[in-house]
Amino acid sequence: MATAETGVQAASPGTGEAAVRVRDLTVVYATARGELPAVAHVDLDLPAGQITGIVGESGSGKSTLALALLNAVQRPGRILSGSVQVAGVGDVVTLGRRALRQARGGKIGYVFQASQSSLNPLKTVGKQLLDLGRSHDVADLRQLIREAKGLAEEMGLDPVRALGSYQHQLSGGMRQRVGIIFALVLNAHVLVLDEPTTALDMLSQALVLGIVRRVHRERGLTTVIITHDIGVVAELADRLAVMYAGRIVEEGRTEEVLASPLHPYTAGLIAAIPRIVGDPNRSRPLSGRPPDLTTVPPRGCPFRERCPVAMDVCEVEDPALVEVPGGRRVACHARGRGVAVR
Amino acid sequence: MSGLARRLASRIVVAVVMIWIVASFTFFLVRAIPGNPVQAEYETLVSQGVNPAQARAETQVIYGFLPHQPLATQYGHYLWQLLHLNLGKSISYTGTPVSHIVLSAAPYTVILVLSGIVASFAIGVIAGVLAAVRRSTRLGDVLSVSGSLLHGVPQFVMALLLAYLFTTEWAIFPFGAPYDASIPVGFSPAFIGSLVSHAILPVAAYALSSYGGWLLTMKSSVVSVLGDDFVLAAELRGIRPITRLRYIGRNAILPLFTILALSIGFMFGGSVFIEDIFDYPGLGQLLLQSINRRDYPLMSGAFLLITVAVIVANILADLLYGVIDPRVRKG
Repeated sequence: MATAETGVQAASPGTGEAAVRVRDLTVVYATARGELPAVAHVDLDLPAGQITGIVGESGSGKSTLALALLNAVQRPGRILSGSVQVAGVGDVVTLGRRALRQARGGKIGYVFQASQSSLNPLKTVGKQLLDLGRSHDVADLRQLIREAKGLAEEMGLDPVRALGSYQHQLSGGMRQRVGIIFALVLNAHVLVLDEPTTALDMLSQALVLGIVRRVHRERGLTTVIITHDIGVVAELADRLAVMYAGRIVEEGRTEEVLASPLHPYTAGLIAAIPRIVGDPNRSRPLSGRPPDLTTVPPRGCPFRERCPVAMDVCEVEDPALVEVPGGRRVACHARGRGVAVR
Repeated sequence: MSGLARRLASRIVVAVVMIWIVASFTFFLVRAIPGNPVQAEYETLVSQGVNPAQARAETQVIYGFLPHQPLATQYGHYLWQLLHLNLGKSISYTGTPVSHIVLSAAPYTVILVLSGIVASFAIGVIAGVLAAVRRSTRLGDVLSVSGSLLHGVPQFVMALLLAYLFTTEWAIFPFGAPYDASIPVGFSPAFIGSLVSHAILPVAAYALSSYGGWLLTMKSSVVSVLGDDFVLAAELRGIRPITRLRYIGRNAILPLFTILALSIGFMFGGSVFIEDIFDYPGLGQLLLQSINRRDYPLMSGAFLLITVAVIVANILADLLYGVIDPRVRKG
């Protein structure tokens, strides 16, 4: 259903039809020290019909990137440059105010963290769905409610109870499913999930992930999952992009990236996952702390201070994200130099 | 709805207890104030050489009663009469029932205070939303500064200023008296017009002195709601701006209802100054008079009525809160 916009000339990093094409996207935040980039020159394609996981530590810019997909970066941040081409919408960065509002919710659905209260606490779910319908000029509101109830039922919620509830009457897992109803009831074809399982218990996590997988497949969505949890990505994502200090440092098919990480940061993330089987001491935390906006070094590789394979060139030159054989991309000077990244 | 009924019932029980406490407090307080008018009259007579028995009889003729029983007995008698809505007889308006006097003065105060609150609340809240949403523009700055300035002016200064400017400097509005005595009382446009023009300045004094508080509170409440996740969520779902503003407004106004209930008491307290300054015959002025004339029954009566008004207003605000905030509702 999703076809890429014609006329997108930017170099394709080797994927097929993309439902979303991010090109040279830079998002800056105004700070006391001037505008600092939270997302720096990001190129990323979200292939139509696939699930892409964006992984990074707090402060890596992954949530800012997610908001930028809807041109919804909040002040004091703003998109400095670049484009976000969404199939059937156009470049959301240059979209007019009204068209942008229609695209949000209408074409691109966004699901918040479960711990965040994404509903107006004073209105029932059903009434807020009606507000959503009216905002998007839905002619048949009854049909909208029917569809919402259908979605609720599909996700194992009692439709009448779910729509009659206030936010405080819903559990975390239920909230998350209600959030998905809001994101999909207008038939959006791109679904952005920001930390969909954070703050949920294990059973609810599994439930929500199962639901995401199912609606993704049944509706032929293009899905982005923003998370710090590599386990979530491993279970769900077709492709994986790793973010560090506002940059994408590695990207490729999930199994390949997880099996043979090319970037030392990715390798470190994987090594830090505690194993269920075997010695838990085998999991090694990454040394050092992730940089925030103000501590990203102005030049050189932002990861070099925590990097086990840092070289002289890393001090002066920020490695570019380059394509390597097998449809993968990595941004590391040590790549291909026989340095064991493990 | 049974939840609401239960809520109401429990609030009424609390209200009765509060009224009892205030009634008792005022009863003992006024009797603890030095200077008993009956005693004073009696002592004057005795000092003039009248023998004590005759002085007592004469005093009783003047005041209609004599407080000779012990305090506890008086207290029991007072509460018993209170249960029958009998507040006793006034001393300064000799022989007139207190309930009569306070009830005829009450409408002037209640209507003025309520109009003042409604006006300042409505204007202050709307201005507060504007000040919050446009806080980085000149309009936002102007509104905030107007709020801070007016908030800083005490009620009685505001009343004096208004009285000076609009009844003396530019005699636009009449001064004193709730209506023009030359116009016959009735539902005629002339009479109602006269009532309104006499009430405008006191109402303005109430409204202007509380407007700043509403504006500043609403502004900070809106700013904090603007940071809530559901506001961003509504934006990301493409909800219309006007609907989003409604979401924000309704959430931001909630804490103000609690303050509204509290401020009603404050406003009634302010009526003492404002009615005195505008020579307006409401409860506030009555209270002041009764204190000056040491008219205990009238004093307690006025206190009690103000207390009841504040408690009723609090119950109303609380019930209203339950209606607008589903989280407070039970079940």
